[in-house]
Amino acid sequence: MMTVNLRGGPVALMLGLCLFAFGGQAVAAEDDSVCLQCHGAQSGRLGDPVPAWESSVHAGNGVSCHDCHGGDPTDMAMAMSPERGFLGVPEYEEVPDFCGRCHVGVKDDYLASQHGKALASGGPQCVVCHDNHAVQRASLDLINEQDCSRCHDYGRAAEIRASMETTDDRISLLENELPPLHRVGIDVKGFEGEIFSLRNEFHRLFHTVDVEQVKRETDRFGTQLDEISGRVEGVKTDLAERKIWGGVATVLLIVAGILSWLLRRTYHDQE
Amino acid sequence: MKPLKMVIDWVDVRLGVRELWTANTTGYLVPGNINPWYSLGTVLLVLFGLQFLTGILLLMHYIPDTEKAFASVERIMNEVPFGWLFRYLHVVGSNLIVVVLLLHMLSVLFMGSYKRPRELTWLSGFGLFNLGLFLCLTGYLLPWSQLSFWATTVATDAAGAVPVIGSKLVEVLRGSPSVGSETLGRFFALHVVVMPLALLGLIGFHLFCVRRNGISRPPFGEKARPARVGEQFEHEHHDDGIPFFPNYTSEEAAMVCYFIALLVFISFFAPQIFLPLDALEPADPFNTPEHIKPEWYFLWAYQTLKIFPSKFLGLAVQGGLMTFLALLPFIDRGEERRPAKRPLFVTCYVLGLLLILAISIWGHYS
Amino acid sequence: MPEKTLPPDQRRRYLLAMLGAVGGALAAMGAWPLVRFFMPRDTGGAGSAIEIPRKDVPPGSAHFFDYRGRPAVLLQPRSGEFLALTAVCTHLGCIVKWQDDVGEFLCPCHGGRFSLDGAVLGGPPPAPLETFPVTLKGDQIVIG
Repeated sequence: MMTVNLRGGPVALMLGLCLFAFGGQAVAAEDDSVCLQCHGAQSGRLGDPVPAWESSVHAGNGVSCHDCHGGDPTDMAMAMSPERGFLGVPEYEEVPDFCGRCHVGVKDDYLASQHGKALASGGPQCVVCHDNHAVQRASLDLINEQDCSRCHDYGRAAEIRASMETTDDRISLLENELPPLHRVGIDVKGFEGEIFSLRNEFHRLFHTVDVEQVKRETDRFGTQLDEISGRVEGVKTDLAERKIWGGVATVLLIVAGILSWLLRRTYHDQE
Repeated sequence: MKPLKMVIDWVDVRLGVRELWTANTTGYLVPGNINPWYSLGTVLLVLFGLQFLTGILLLMHYIPDTEKAFASVERIMNEVPFGWLFRYLHVVGSNLIVVVLLLHMLSVLFMGSYKRPRELTWLSGFGLFNLGLFLCLTGYLLPWSQLSFWATTVATDAAGAVPVIGSKLVEVLRGSPSVGSETLGRFFALHVVVMPLALLGLIGFHLFCVRRNGISRPPFGEKARPARVGEQFEHEHHDDGIPFFPNYTSEEAAMVCYFIALLVFISFFAPQIFLPLDALEPADPFNTPEHIKPEWYFLWAYQTLKIFPSKFLGLAVQGGLMTFLALLPFIDRGEERRPAKRPLFVTCYVLGLLLILAISIWGHYS
Repeated sequence: MPEKTLPPDQRRRYLLAMLGAVGGALAAMGAWPLVRFFMPRDTGGAGSAIEIPRKDVPPGSAHFFDYRGRPAVLLQPRSGEFLALTAVCTHLGCIVKWQDDVGEFLCPCHGGRFSLDGAVLGGPPPAPLETFPVTLKGDQIVIG
């Protein structure tokens, strides 16, 4: 269920169509949540997560408090009871497992990376880079001098970012081609799904923090992108061809109309 | 050519088809000052014919099932060869038909052609106008998109304003408490069988009236005649007129070409003006999209319902207006047809038109 | 306009000829989408081979399947020996039935009889049933 939500959400956002629809559903869900009713009214440490979460990618995709923290969002008295699966706040080193319940692949990549291996000795975990309640949709902007140099030299991170930037831009550009096609009746669900999973797979690369691997795999993604964008171009060529034929037909019809009208004139001259 | 002539000779001896042909073409004289507005009926005939054709083609792939309808339309748009073309022609054609229906009606009103002895022509024509709108309404639901679903919900809900039986009436229209598979089933049957058949019958009667009465002389210039009915039936002859065929049909052909050109142009270059974004999302009965608006030709009705304090009053005003229009030949009984001599009528005509236009624009932006 | 100088009858002839040409072009442009609309898109995978798991056809039984858009039948008369034939009777296109007890095909429409290799044994069929090449690939039977 969770993965369905996560998949459906960004697809809808990509479309830029269901924003309202989706927002509506998310709002409906939070209205029912006793977590938000209680914490929303509080101030300070207990109330701050609510506005932070509201601005997050999780909120946008309908992932609410209980989806991560457990508990019963429908029962005020038992909401935070361990009997109902309430987990509360994870310890620093538990965070990768906490997030990894949904972000399975990313967790594996992270744990295998230098970041993950350093976890026990105070290495960075998920929220160090992604923030917790205000978590945003992952993007290359997370790799920046200010954040990375909190712990180490920016050099290698900059190299990774540079190597990934082109592909990431291409994914975004390709994605932006879809809404206009959808608008004229083209079924773009297939393309959206392919691009969505391509981007997910590609973003997993972030977590390896291995310059050589990133460089190697970026090429592979480039080929896949070429293939998808080739098909998208095919659709666009089709649409352009349609317009040519439509234009020819329109002109011919107008010509036929003018000829008929001239014909009418020949009769008129004899009336 | 020889064998063709032999076939025609053979049929002619038995059924006298040459005489029929002559009587209805070269021998059928129409007023010499006839104008292009008189060809809108033919344009409508061609446009309706195209709707039948494209409708039959769509019917081969459309599935009237709430679970499958939207996907079947998507398949028509993406997989069936030229399915997109036939669907767009059908969608744009329906809107163009409403435009031409309105133009036809407005020109008949302006020229006073609805008057005696053509009351039945007007009544059948007004019936055709309503049938056309109902065809639009029922066809609208079939793709089972968000737009379809909610437009139909709102449209059928309006019937609830009828006193006493209102809520029951809504359920009968829908076949269930809310729009669902029952509604789709009956709208489908109405759209593809009942209404097209009724339309054919009514068009037949309308054409019969037109042919039987003869073409009304345009009420301009010195030859204008008053609207009168004698003691006995009389066909309006135009002995100084021009042959219907080929003289006037060439003008009709020109008009038909222009309108089809418009239809093709919109279908290829801007079909989305008739397909809002909500038409691209499958129906979701639990999620009303924001800013749902009816089609442009129902905006005036939509806005009237909002203007009046009670829904019943709004509905009554709409019903009153439509009844008034339907019975106009019996209410407006003057013999005068020349617009210049009918200042009161022309004033009401222009003001009424502006009012409907203003209310529609208001409805669009409200 | 040059045609203004011509008499109406002559102008009319030119105009009708041009109208005929334009009308013809438009008719062709209108007919093409219709032709494409009605042309079958699914050719039944003409030319492609089909694979059937060996366990679907026990010895002595008949397995009916779709071959390039038409019904066909696969037999295993003796262990390890396979036969594939069209199941469409050559008389009027009904689908033949496998008569297990006599080991031959019977067409239920007009009583046509075929042997297990497709030869006509009796009745109205004018030609034998077409057979298809069968090869074995592991536990798959490849037809075509």
